[in-house]
Amino acid sequence: MPKENRKINFGQLFKELEEITAWFEREEVDLEEGLKKFERGLELAKLLKGHLNRVENRVNEIKAKFESEGEKEGEDETENTAFDF
Amino acid sequence: MRVFKVSEFIDFLNEALAAAAPRDEVAVEGEVASFNIAQNQWVRFDLKDETALLNCFLTVWQLRVPIEDGMKIRVRGFPKIYPRYGKLSLVVHHIELVGEGALKKAFEMLKKKLAAEGFFEVSRKRPLPRFPSRIALITSPGAAAYTDFLRILNNRWRGVTVDLLPVAVQGVGAVDQITGAFRWLNEHCAYYDICVLTRGGGSLEDLQAFNSEAVARAIYASKVPVVCGVGHERDETLADYVADVRASTPSNAAELVVPDYREVLRNISSHCLTIASALSRRLMQTEDFLNESVWRLRSFITQKEQLFSKLFLNLRSHFLVFHQKFTQHREAALASKARLSFAAANLLSAVSLRLQKEERLLKSLDPQAVLKRGFSIVFNQEGKVVKNAAQVDKGELIKIKLKEGGLLSEVKEKNQDA
Repeated sequence: MPKENRKINFGQLFKELEEITAWFEREEVDLEEGLKKFERGLELAKLLKGHLNRVENRVNEIKAKFESEGEKEGEDETENTAFDF
Repeated sequence: MRVFKVSEFIDFLNEALAAAAPRDEVAVEGEVASFNIAQNQWVRFDLKDETALLNCFLTVWQLRVPIEDGMKIRVRGFPKIYPRYGKLSLVVHHIELVGEGALKKAFEMLKKKLAAEGFFEVSRKRPLPRFPSRIALITSPGAAAYTDFLRILNNRWRGVTVDLLPVAVQGVGAVDQITGAFRWLNEHCAYYDICVLTRGGGSLEDLQAFNSEAVARAIYASKVPVVCGVGHERDETLADYVADVRASTPSNAAELVVPDYREVLRNISSHCLTIASALSRRLMQTEDFLNESVWRLRSFITQKEQLFSKLFLNLRSHFLVFHQKFTQHREAALASKARLSFAAANLLSAVSLRLQKEERLLKSLDPQAVLKRGFSIVFNQEGKVVKNAAQVDKGELIKIKLKEGGLLSEVKEKNQDA
């Protein structure tokens, strides 16, 4: 089952935003590209903020019995071998 | 009275024993002695108290807790007299450590063993994803740890899904359920980002499951990074050491697995601010640059203009001076020319007069004119003019030229009178 993140991959988008900021903090900011990245940055911020303000946490209980295997085996094997050494 | 064969009697006794001490209803507590493992398969030891001793037996794979001579333990199993040797043995199927001392000792032994196997190596600890989307939670739903964890989680973050794998966190079956839960988790590992294993505080006996080798190995083998938080800050279990990240409490576990959404919102805003101000700065820089370029261009052109004007004026003034001088010189030259002509003319007439004068003079010096006045010229035989009587000798012939004709004479006498 793939990992699902309720419509957006928060981590990935946040990382993209961080990369845009890092790009701006480097010296030469090309105007044309800067405007494009600025718009994308604002768009990302909007998506991220919206996600945080909108979604809830979900709690499910897994219905399974977590018992170890092989607890019952082996005892009767000791019947005859206990004193054989 | 009943008479038995030996083997029959032993069977009879074994039945009686089984009835008297049924499985899971009876446990025996004592101190371990003569502990040994034979052929890496059979575990044997004596359980004793002040006055008595009971032989115990189990296979090495059933030995879930590390035990040593001197440890106080509690065992469950069934008593049996082995027909072949007629000896009573307790066939053990469950061992529990009893008392702090035993538990502490077992803890230290296991800790050393696992450390040697590299379970606690920092290098194998995996980093946690920053923004997890699915968390597997292994804990007891009835415990306060569960509610504490969820409360803090819901407080801090949104959009995460928590799947609870309910287990007992102490007592019988805890170890099996926890290891079982980890097995289930590994089967579904692709689905989860983080696993949280947590429980509340308790005594060393309560925390036994979290100090067991089986649980430690299960955590070690987990394909999902594990955050383990047990009880209070001071509680430290082997599970804590093996986990990828140790939380001090269940609440702390929630703090470690998800970020605080308020902080993240602030972070996002600060990113926007950084971007906006960087862009704005760049725009201003560009504007400044344009302004400066225009100014420079303008001043450059003005400079050239001024230079040109200056040169032009210079040229003009020099030309005027030149023209003035030229005119002056021309006039002077013309004047000189006029004077020269005049002087030349004067010179010419002067020379002409001189010439006439010289002509008259010359004429007057003409020897013919002298002859005309009655004088005569004397030549010697060589034709040379005689001016001195000494030039000729007596008897020499001389020629005399007269105005008309000439004479050939002989010198008779001469004298030196002046």
